[in-house]
Amino acid sequence: MSHLLDRLKYFSHTRETFSNGHGIVTNEDRKWEDSYRNRWRFDKIVRSTHGVNCTGGCSWKIHVKNGMVAFEMQQTDYPETRPDLPNHEPRGCQRGASFSWYLYSPHRIKYPMVRGRLLELYRGERANKDPIEAWGAIQTNPEKRASYTGVRGLGGFVRGNWDEVKEMIAAANIYTIKTHGPDRIFGFSPIPAMSMLSYAAGSRYLSLIGAACGSFYDWYCDLPVASPQVWGEQTDVPESADWYNSTYLIVCGANLPMTRTPDAHFAIETRYKGTKVVSMAPDYAEYVKFADLWMPVKQGTDAAAFMAMGHVALKEFHVEKEDPYFSEYVRKYTDMPIQVTLRKHGDHYVSDRCLRASDFDKSLGEKNNPEWKTIVFDEKTKKFVAPNGSIGFRWGEDGRWNLLPRNGKAAKDEILAELTCVGRSDDVVSVGFPHFTPGEDDLLFRNIPVRKVKTVDGEVLVTSVYDLMVAQYGIDRGLGDKTATGYDDASVAYTPAWAEKVTGVKQADLILTGREFADNASKTKGKSMIILGAAINHWYHNDMNYRGIMNLLHMCGCVGQSGGGWAHYVGQEKLRPQAGWAPIAFALDWMRPPRHMASTTYWYFHTDQWRYERVTGDSLLATTAKGKYKGYTMADYNVVAQRLGWMPSAPHFNQNPINVVKDAEAAGATDEAGVAKHMIERLKSGDLAFAYEDIDAPENHPRNLFVWRSNLIGCSAKGHEYFLKHLLGAQNGVMTEGVEGAACKEVKWHEKAPTGKLDLMVDINFRMNSTGAHSDIILPTATWYEKNDLNTTDMHPFIHPLSEAVDPAWEAKSDWNIFKELAETFSKLSETHLPGVTKDVVALPMQHDSAQAMAQPFGHVHDWKKGDCEPIQGKTLPLLKVVERTYADTYKKFIALGPMLEKLGNTIKGIEWDTKDEYEALKLHNGTIKLEGVSKGMPSLEDVVHACDAVMRLAPETNGEVAHKAWKAQGKKTGIDHNHLCDARRDEVITFKDIQVQPRKIITAPTWSGIESHHVSYNAGYTNIHEHIPFRTLTGRAHFYMDHEWMLDFGEGFCVYRPGLDMMNTNVVQAIKNKKHVKLNWITPHSKWGIHSTYQDTARMLTLFRGGPYIWVSETDAKTAGLEDNDWIEAINENGATMARCIVSQRIPEGMAMMYHAQEKNVNVPGSNSTGKRGGILNSVTRVVVKPTHMIGGYAQFSYGFNYYGPVGSNRDEFVIIHKIEDKDIDWLERPLTPEREKQLNPPGINN
Amino acid sequence: MNDFFFGVYPYIALSVFFVGSWIRYDREQYTWKADSSQLMSGKDMVLASNLFHIGIIGIFCGHFIGLLMPHAFWEAIALSSLGKQYIAMIGGGILGITCMIGGVMLMNRRLTNPRVRAVSRTSDIFILGLLLVTLAFGLMTTLVSAGHAAEGDAEVMMTLAAWAKSIVLLSPQPELVASVELVFAIHLVFGMTIFVVFPFTRLVHVWSFPFTYVGRAYQIVRSKRRKPVDVDI
Repeated sequence: MSHLLDRLKYFSHTRETFSNGHGIVTNEDRKWEDSYRNRWRFDKIVRSTHGVNCTGGCSWKIHVKNGMVAFEMQQTDYPETRPDLPNHEPRGCQRGASFSWYLYSPHRIKYPMVRGRLLELYRGERANKDPIEAWGAIQTNPEKRASYTGVRGLGGFVRGNWDEVKEMIAAANIYTIKTHGPDRIFGFSPIPAMSMLSYAAGSRYLSLIGAACGSFYDWYCDLPVASPQVWGEQTDVPESADWYNSTYLIVCGANLPMTRTPDAHFAIETRYKGTKVVSMAPDYAEYVKFADLWMPVKQGTDAAAFMAMGHVALKEFHVEKEDPYFSEYVRKYTDMPIQVTLRKHGDHYVSDRCLRASDFDKSLGEKNNPEWKTIVFDEKTKKFVAPNGSIGFRWGEDGRWNLLPRNGKAAKDEILAELTCVGRSDDVVSVGFPHFTPGEDDLLFRNIPVRKVKTVDGEVLVTSVYDLMVAQYGIDRGLGDKTATGYDDASVAYTPAWAEKVTGVKQADLILTGREFADNASKTKGKSMIILGAAINHWYHNDMNYRGIMNLLHMCGCVGQSGGGWAHYVGQEKLRPQAGWAPIAFALDWMRPPRHMASTTYWYFHTDQWRYERVTGDSLLATTAKGKYKGYTMADYNVVAQRLGWMPSAPHFNQNPINVVKDAEAAGATDEAGVAKHMIERLKSGDLAFAYEDIDAPENHPRNLFVWRSNLIGCSAKGHEYFLKHLLGAQNGVMTEGVEGAACKEVKWHEKAPTGKLDLMVDINFRMNSTGAHSDIILPTATWYEKNDLNTTDMHPFIHPLSEAVDPAWEAKSDWNIFKELAETFSKLSETHLPGVTKDVVALPMQHDSAQAMAQPFGHVHDWKKGDCEPIQGKTLPLLKVVERTYADTYKKFIALGPMLEKLGNTIKGIEWDTKDEYEALKLHNGTIKLEGVSKGMPSLEDVVHACDAVMRLAPETNGEVAHKAWKAQGKKTGIDHNHLCDARRDEVITFKDIQVQPRKIITAPTWSGIESHHVSYNAGYTNIHEHIPFRTLTGRAHFYMDHEWMLDFGEGFCVYRPGLDMMNTNVVQAIKNKKHVKLNWITPHSKWGIHSTYQDTARMLTLFRGGPYIWVSETDAKTAGLEDNDWIEAINENGATMARCIVSQRIPEGMAMMYHAQEKNVNVPGSNSTGKRGGILNSVTRVVVKPTHMIGGYAQFSYGFNYYGPVGSNRDEFVIIHKIEDKDIDWLERPLTPEREKQLNPPGINN
Repeated sequence: MNDFFFGVYPYIALSVFFVGSWIRYDREQYTWKADSSQLMSGKDMVLASNLFHIGIIGIFCGHFIGLLMPHAFWEAIALSSLGKQYIAMIGGGILGITCMIGGVMLMNRRLTNPRVRAVSRTSDIFILGLLLVTLAFGLMTTLVSAGHAAEGDAEVMMTLAAWAKSIVLLSPQPELVASVELVFAIHLVFGMTIFVVFPFTRLVHVWSFPFTYVGRAYQIVRSKRRKPVDVDI
C-alpha cells in the first residue's frame, strides 16, 4: 500500500532462507513490476515495415499506445512457401527493431524548414512581386544568391509554413521551366521497392512537369554491369530460401549475417543437410565464421580467383572429359557454340564480332533482321545455321524467339550446335588475347582452331566462343602454344598458381574449390551457388569480378537451376509489381516518354568530378584496340555516348527544350518529325549542341534538385566534397585545383570552375541528416509507421505493406500528399506563368527491350559528328520525342489514372497487353474523380491507398488475370505456351487490405525470370532454362563473349583480370608526408550498426559501438603509422579528408582501411585539420571514374534502360593517407560563423 | 518574527520534510534518485564530488551530534563545553572548507560545462546554491564562535544546543535564539529552509543510502505472496 511502510518492515521481509543462508525468499512489495508490464501494454498493432535500403522487406508489428508508437516486433505470419523449407520468420534485425526511436527523436523534422537567409530574401522580394518574379529576382542577383548558397551545410534554418514553402518550390520550378527548361529540374530517390508509392509520388510530379529522374542502382555501384552484359537482365537473383536448396555455396563479398540478417539463417541451415560453404573475404568477416573453408583473398582481385577456379572446371569437366550435363547446358543456353570472326592484327589475329546470317549469301534465308541473327555450326547438317533465340527473332517476327535447339519452328528443325572444331578445323592460327596484369605481356598468344567461311565480304576465319575461351583460360589442348603445363604453372595466366600470385589464395584451395564446385554441379544438375555482393561489386572493374563468377556458373550449368546460380545481393531490391507501378510512377498514363537520367554521368559532370580526372581512357585500352577515340578522356567518351543515342542526358541541349520546339515550329515544323528534322539540322550546324559538351556553362547547370527517401549528400555522394563545392557552392574539402579536365576534347574547358550551380535544393525527410543540412528547404515527411505504401524484396516472394499506424507527427505529411499538394500549388501558379499547352522535346536513348536495341549493327561505332554517318534519330542519334504538357492541369493529372493505359495498354520487357478491364475495375474500386476538368470520371489516385490498389490491379504479380494476359503475350513471341506457370491463380486479385492482413505470395509473371510455385524456390534465369525464353541478349543466350567495338577496344570481349585502378590521388599535403603515416586502400563495406546512414545515429546503435565514426586498420599498419586503438585519425587524399576514431583489429589484413559505409558527419565528428572543415564522411576521400564500356548503347543488351545500364559510381579503388591526430589538436569548430570563415569556402590554399 | 522563525518555522520545516518525503517516496518512485550528471561530464568529478560529499556528510553528523547529544554524555566523557566547542570549530571548519571547495567546483561545473548546463533544471542549481549559502553562513559562525572561544566562553553554543533540544522536545524556546549573534540566526533559517525544499529536489537521495547492501544475501527471491488455494472439487 505504501512504499514507505513497506520499507519500514524491512526486517520482517525475509520469509525463509535457502542454500545455507546464501539465498533468501522475501515478501517485498512487487508493484513496481507493473511499470515493466505497462511498458509492453499497447492499444493496437498495425502491420508496417521499414522503407530502408536493406532489401530485407521484413514485416513488423507496430504497437501503438496512447496515440504514439511504443515499440515494434517481428511479424511471424508469412504464408508457408514450400513444405520442406525452413520458415521465413522471424524476419527483422536489431536495426529495424530500433526504428521507433526516430519518430520522436531529436533528429525528427517536425516542420517545414527553410534556410533563414533565403526566406528573408524571398519575403523581401515577395512584398511587391508575384512568386515567380520574386524567385527570379533572387536568382538573377549573384550576391543575393551567394548569400544563401554559401552557407549550405552550416545550419541557419528557420521554421517555415507549408503554404509558403510550397509556393517557393513551385515558383522555383516554374521559373526554371520558363528560364532554363524543365530538364534543369532533377529528382533523386532510390530503390522504389522499399516504399513504392513514396517514390512514385515524387517521380510522378517530376515526370508530369518534365523534370528528370535520376537512376540510383548504377550510381550506388550496386548495379552489376555484368548482368546486363551477360544476360540482358538488370539483375535477377534467387530468393534467400533458395540458398537452402543449394548443395555447394561459395560466399564472397556479401556478409550474410551482418547485411542479410533476416535471411542468413537459410545459409546456416543448409549446412545441416551437408552443404559445403566456402568463403572468400580479405578480412575475417562475420560470415567467414560459418564457412568450412576461408580463402583470404587480396581485396579487389576476385576475378583472378574465379578465373582460376574456372580454369579447373573447364579443364576437368569440359576439355579432359566432356560432362554430358554441362555440355548440353552450354550448347543450349550460352554463347559457347556461337561463331566469332577473327581480325588480323599484325602477324596474329584477334577475336572480332560474331558471325551473322547477313554475312552469308542470301542471309541463310533469313529476311527479317539478318544482321541480328548469330550463327552456330550444326553438327547434324555440318552447316552454319542461325539458331532460334537471337535478338533478330525477337522483333519483327513471332515464334522463333526461343532457346529450343532449332533453327526453325518445327521439331524437324532440331540442331546440335558444335562447341569446338578442334580436329575438324581448316587451320590453326595464333590469336592474341588482351591481358592487363602488371609485369606480364599485354597480349596472350594462343593457337586456335578455325574454319574458313565465305561471306559476302570475302573469306573470313571463324571459330567458336568455346574454342577461344578454353585458350584464353590457358588450357592446353595440344595445339602447340604456350599454355599451362599444369595447375602449378604460375607463368601462364589464369592457372591456380598464377592466381595465388595475384590473390594470395593458396592454389590448393582454388583447385579444390573449383573442382568440388563443378563436381557438385555435375552431380546435382546445377545446385552450386555463388552468393556475392558489394565488396566485389564496388570496384571500377566490377564487371570483371562478376563475369569471372558468371563464367564459372555457366560452365557448370548452374544458372537457372534451383539451388544454383548467381546470388547478387547489393541494393538489388525487387520491385515486384513493376509493370503496374511504372505507369503511375512516371506518369506514363498521361504522357510518354518520361525523362530518365543515368545518375553517375549526371553527378560526374555536374559536380565537376571530371575536371579532376587523372585516369585516362588510353590507359585502359587494349593494345589491339581500333581506338577510334584514342586520347579521349572519360568525360569525352560519355559525351560521345550521349550524342550517339546510347546514354541519356539531362539537360539535353544547351537551350531550353521548350524553346527548341518553338524555334522548330517557327521554322515551319508541324509535327514531331518536323521538329526532329529541324533539330537535327541545327545539331549538325552546331547551332544547337548537347549540354554536356559545355557542362560548366551556366545555361547547362542543374537548377532545382529534389531529394526524397534518400541521403544523397551524406551517404551516396561519391566525391562528397565535389558535390559541396561545385553543385552546392558550400564549404568543402577538395584539396586540389582540378586542372586535368582541360585535356578534354569534347567538353569545353572553363578556367574558372563554376560553384553553387543549384538554385534550390529540396530535401524531403523525417530525419535531419547531411542532405537536409545542405538543402535550402526541408519538408517533413511521414515515417515508415505513418504512411500507407507497398514493399517487396527479392529476398522473399511476398508483397506486404507499410501502414499508417499513427498520423504523421507534428506537421509531417506523407510523400504522396506532399507531392500532390505541391502539384496543386504548381498548377495554380502555372495558370498565369505557363498557360495552355507547352511542347517539350525529350531526347531518348535507344531503349533496351525494344526494337531500338537493334540500332547499330555489328557493334560498330559510327559517329555522325566525325562524319562516319548521318545523324538519324533512333539510329545514330537519340530519339527526339515531342511531349505536350498542360502545366495548369498537373494536379488534375496527378490525382487520376490517365487515359493512356486505357488506350495503349501496358508493357514490360517488350511484351504488351490490354488493360481496359483493369481500368474499368479501378473506377469502381477507387471511385472516380469528381473535379471538373481533364481527369473527370477517371479512376482516382487521390488517396495513396487508391494508388497502391491501382498498382496491384495493373501488375501481373498481384492480379492473376493480368498475369494470364502477359504470359499469353510472351508465349506469342516465343512460340511456346507458358501459361501453366500462372493460370492456377488466374482469379486472384490482391488488394491493399489483403496484404494488411497478411503478406501475400506474388503470382508468376514474365517481368521476372524466376517462378513462384509450391515446388521450386524463386531462382533467377529459371524460365530461360526451363521455359526456353531467351536471355534478352544479342544471341539470346548467356554471353561469355561480347563483341561490341568498345568492349573489344577495352579488352573486355572475354572476362579478364584487371587490377584496381590507380587513382593517383595521394600526392597531397607535404606536412603529413613528413610525419608517421600509412597509405591504405579505402574499403567502405556495409555497416553492422546501420543501414547506410539510417540507424547508425540512433541512441541505441551509437551505444552499441563507439558512439561516432570509426575506421578499422590492421595491427601492422597501425604500428607503421604509430596508432593505438581509439586514437583520432585523419584519412586524407586529394579529394578531401575525413576524421574518425581508429579501431586496431586483427580482423583487418594489411594494406586496407575499412570505414563502414555512411557514418555521417552529424554525430561526434570534429573538424579536419587539413581542410579546416567539418571532418567529412566516408565519401570525402572518394571520387568516381566513369567507365566507357558502361556507356555503350543501341546494341542488343548494350542498350539503355533506367537503372539497367550505365556507368557505375565505384569507390573501392581509392587509396588514402592515414595519420594520427593528437587529442589536443582536435578542433570541434564550435565557433560562430564570422564573415572571414564564411568567405573561406575551400581548404586553405585552394583558389579555384 | 523571532517566534515565527525559531518557534513555528522549525515545525513547518520538519513537517514538510517528513511528510513531503513520504508522499514523494510513495507516489513518485521514479523521481526518487540522485540525478547524477556524471554521464554528461566526468571531468574533475572524482575530486569535486568527493570533497563535497565527505564535507557535507561530516557536517551533518557534526550538527546532529553537537546539537542533539544530551549534555550528560559530554560530562560522562569529561569533555568540557569549551573543548567541545573547539572540536566543533576545528572539525566543522575543516569539513566546511572541504565541502565549500567541492561545492564551488560543482557549481562552477554546473554553470559552465555546456553539457551539464543543458541537463540542469532550475531546482538543481537552486539547491546547490542554497547549500553553499547556508554553508557560507555556517563558516562565518565558526569565526564568531572562535571569538567566543578565545574569551573562554562556550555559552552561545550551549544556548543553541538548548534551543535545538527545545524544538525536539516539542517545547520551543525561540527566545534562546534572540540572544545570540544575528549570523547564527541567519544560518539557522537557511538550514531549516533546506529541510523545507528537501522533498522537492534531488536531495531525497540522501534518504536512500544503500545500507542494506551490507550483509545482503547473495540471492534474493521475491515471493509472489500467493497463499495456497483451497480447491473444492
